[in-house]
Amino acid sequence: MKTESKIGIFLCECGGKISNRISLPRVSDLLNYEAWTHLGIYPYPCLSPGLEAIKAKVQAKGLNRVLIGGCSGRVMKKKFAEALAPVGIAKHQVEMINLKDHVALVHEAPPQELARKAAALIAGGLASLELLEPYEPVSLSFEGPALILGGGVSGFAAARELARHGLESVVFSKALAPERVLEELHWTFPGCRIFCGDLGDFLREVFTSPLVKIVPDQPIEYIIGGVGDYHVGLKQPDNTVTEVNGAAIIVALDREFRPADIAYIGGGERVCDLLDLEEQLVAGDIKPGKVVFWVNSPEHGKAAQELAAVAAWRDSLLMVRENPQVKPIVLYPANITLPLSGADLVEARAHDIGLMSYAPEVHPVVQSGYLSFVSPADNLEHEVEWDTLVVPGAPGDPAAKAQELMRWLPIYPENGGRLQKSHIKFWPDQVPDESLFFTGSAGGLCDLNEVLQQGKKAARGVLHIREKALQGRLVSPVVVHVDKDLCQGCGLCTEICPCGGIEHVKPGSGPVPREVDNHLCSGGGTCAATCPYEAVKILNNTAQQLEARIKAMMARMQENEILGFVCGWGGLASAEQAAVKGVTYPSGIYLVPVNCLGSLDPFILSMAFLNGVKGIMLAGCTPKHSCHYHYGIDHCWYRVNAMKKLLSLAGLERRRISIGYVEVNEPESFARMVESHLESLEKLPPLSLDDKTKAKLWAIHATMHRPRVRWVLGTSLRRPAEKEFPGSQFNAVEADETMLEVLKEEFLAARILKALTDQPLNPPGIARAMDEPVKNITPLLTDMAQEGRITLKGWEGGYPIYALGKP
Amino acid sequence: MIDFTINGQEVQGQDGWTILEVARWHGIDIPTLCHHGALEPYGACRLCVVEVDDGRRSRVVISCMYPIRQGIKVQTETPRVANVRRWIVQLLLDESPAAPKIQELAKAFGVTTSRFKKEGVEFACHLCGLCIRACQEVVGVQALTFGNRGVLKEVTAPYHQRSKDCIRCGTCLYVCPTGAMEQLFLQVSSE
Repeated sequence: MKTESKIGIFLCECGGKISNRISLPRVSDLLNYEAWTHLGIYPYPCLSPGLEAIKAKVQAKGLNRVLIGGCSGRVMKKKFAEALAPVGIAKHQVEMINLKDHVALVHEAPPQELARKAAALIAGGLASLELLEPYEPVSLSFEGPALILGGGVSGFAAARELARHGLESVVFSKALAPERVLEELHWTFPGCRIFCGDLGDFLREVFTSPLVKIVPDQPIEYIIGGVGDYHVGLKQPDNTVTEVNGAAIIVALDREFRPADIAYIGGGERVCDLLDLEEQLVAGDIKPGKVVFWVNSPEHGKAAQELAAVAAWRDSLLMVRENPQVKPIVLYPANITLPLSGADLVEARAHDIGLMSYAPEVHPVVQSGYLSFVSPADNLEHEVEWDTLVVPGAPGDPAAKAQELMRWLPIYPENGGRLQKSHIKFWPDQVPDESLFFTGSAGGLCDLNEVLQQGKKAARGVLHIREKALQGRLVSPVVVHVDKDLCQGCGLCTEICPCGGIEHVKPGSGPVPREVDNHLCSGGGTCAATCPYEAVKILNNTAQQLEARIKAMMARMQENEILGFVCGWGGLASAEQAAVKGVTYPSGIYLVPVNCLGSLDPFILSMAFLNGVKGIMLAGCTPKHSCHYHYGIDHCWYRVNAMKKLLSLAGLERRRISIGYVEVNEPESFARMVESHLESLEKLPPLSLDDKTKAKLWAIHATMHRPRVRWVLGTSLRRPAEKEFPGSQFNAVEADETMLEVLKEEFLAARILKALTDQPLNPPGIARAMDEPVKNITPLLTDMAQEGRITLKGWEGGYPIYALGKP
Repeated sequence: MIDFTINGQEVQGQDGWTILEVARWHGIDIPTLCHHGALEPYGACRLCVVEVDDGRRSRVVISCMYPIRQGIKVQTETPRVANVRRWIVQLLLDESPAAPKIQELAKAFGVTTSRFKKEGVEFACHLCGLCIRACQEVVGVQALTFGNRGVLKEVTAPYHQRSKDCIRCGTCLYVCPTGAMEQLFLQVSSE
């Protein structure tokens, strides 16, 4: 649905900060012929009198879009959106062009000259607003139980909390009785046996609650749907699939411990690990004598050592209480902090439990019956006597269950096997309520108490969603839209989506159009920029809007000026920080902020060149380290790289486009990037737009629209340091050459199409038009005719005549 | 509508507006440091003082928080006001001699560093709270807070630990008037 746009432009003087540097009357003169309904210059539009003035104009002139030429949208947009909401202007209808930080404060050119730049940026904003499509958020219902997957202990805590608030839940668990859970507890939480009494009551409440259904864990075949309506397919032993429906999903995954490597210590039955010891405790078999808990294995990290030390302390307490003949000592490395309270220490003394630290630099030595270690207090070697020596178990990899869930939910393994929900960090108002909950020690080593808290917190999150749904406030913010007519169901978007926003479809259901779970969507836009068929759209932020913006800007740019795409985090923030710090850079770069460089469609780059831009610079966050959208910047790298390859295929300079990485607090680096890129382009002539170059640029643009090329760009993602390559390629050069081959072929095909636009031609005619030897194009012509991209119109003088269009 | 005068000029405003807002709308310059258009006024720096005569007596008040009232007479450039502002700028300059915004103010007030100059400090944090308020009001997270009290009061992340709530958006850097946030950012931002 498109309504006629009525745009109001409000230019801010900012108390002279803008008006002294940019001639605002000149800006409004330059914008005379643009399609706006109102244009005015205001001293401070952001303060109450200014906001009132804007509101009055919106009402008087019936404006439905507002463009504010002034300050940083990052900081000010929220205020304008909130103030203008009562007069019917929603956030997406407000566009902010940052004249202050992108023009006024960072360039030294005279005010008249800067007015031209300001006008170009505003014209771009107008063109983008012009294409804005209003949307209605979709209301969601919340019916059915919460599904608690993964089998972790935190799941029971979540189920209890939900039951107490009257919400049904289905818990998928290996253990089907409270006792079984307790018996197996030490495999995931060693040293927590001391809590078993309380936990037993807790679990019995859960298992007997009428609102909690405990079902045996089964392999997950699929998880589809979105908030309020999830479907989980479970594979039965007879290979059929049953479906369980629920309104929300809580993932409770715990990390299992494996037996420690104690073979090198020897000592037979006298040496064991914590897991073995706990098995003995379950059996009630507590041997008297000196028990030394030796917290070793620095390779598992300090957190694991701390947990092990606390586990050892708890087990010692348990043993002494059961059998006062046991004399336990906990020997822990001095570089960890023992998270014990004062009361704990008092108890330790009362029960005569030794807590000793050893200097971690010198590895303790095990002897028969003795363990020698260096004390950090006096640097002397001491010895402790042992009858039983206990070492901690080793934290294992996330369970097989995790692999199953990772396939369907946005959970990713981090370094060290830690699982994490997508770690995307946004402005809170950019993301709706949390809707997928991940709990348990698989997300990071922690003890039982913490995990139970996590479960409880997740349950509260679910209850919050239900509450909103009951009040009719649970709306799906439409961020991404998949055009069902264009979507071929290839699933590439699902594969590359970092946030899990694009839904999965049932396995084997074939090419069905994807749908979007906007509650998970982060609006990163990599999916839209990758979609081979251009079926995915980020609403209010479409590639078409960006295209219009750039075209409008370029119509006002000079031939030596370049475009600078900056991502909303590293690039934009550092560019604006330059203004704050008073760092200046040449005014020949026109900044275009995008959410993430990963949302930059490759055809935008080619379109800019087709329209004659001299060069393009892109500034984003450092890959891996700080890209807010996981792989967004890496995807962008491939598109830039493809652009470079195509430029060189067209006989143009690769260095016309370059990508750089910059952090929020590095405005100087940003200015250096701009200066360096402009300098390297200085010696280059502007892009000459003669027919031949134009035909080649047209072909580049057409190549970027080709599904095959977009598919290759989307699938070839790998991070620079990765040693794995997609498909059948084995090394970097090979992978790169495959991409080059595809680009070469498609580029040539596009040039053939271009040559045929005016009239049907025979191969020598096409070759002449393209400046290529005939032999280079004949095989491709045959292929293209077979594929139906061109038609064979007839024969003339022994040559086939080809034309555009289907036969 | 509320009618009153600023520097003798008759102006109008609505209930709830502040003197500073109305003055700026009419192009009357009042210097500020802790005021930002995106944020609620806070009244930390006191630079925006003006003299308000409500018919009974004349007082020096901060214009960023003073709601306008019928018939008041506001003077923005009296000797009393200038004296207060000059002292504030003096103390600001002595703590942050290298900060461009402060230097600009110092130049306007003809102030140079004085006997209060702190050695070795170039970009001090003046505890104006802009970063903390921006983090809460604009970004919507609470990655920054004031720590300690009195002379030890400082801007820090909660519990003095790198904040997990921080989204590394750089808004705090953007609003900081002295550049002190640049040093702090590395200590408080999420990893």
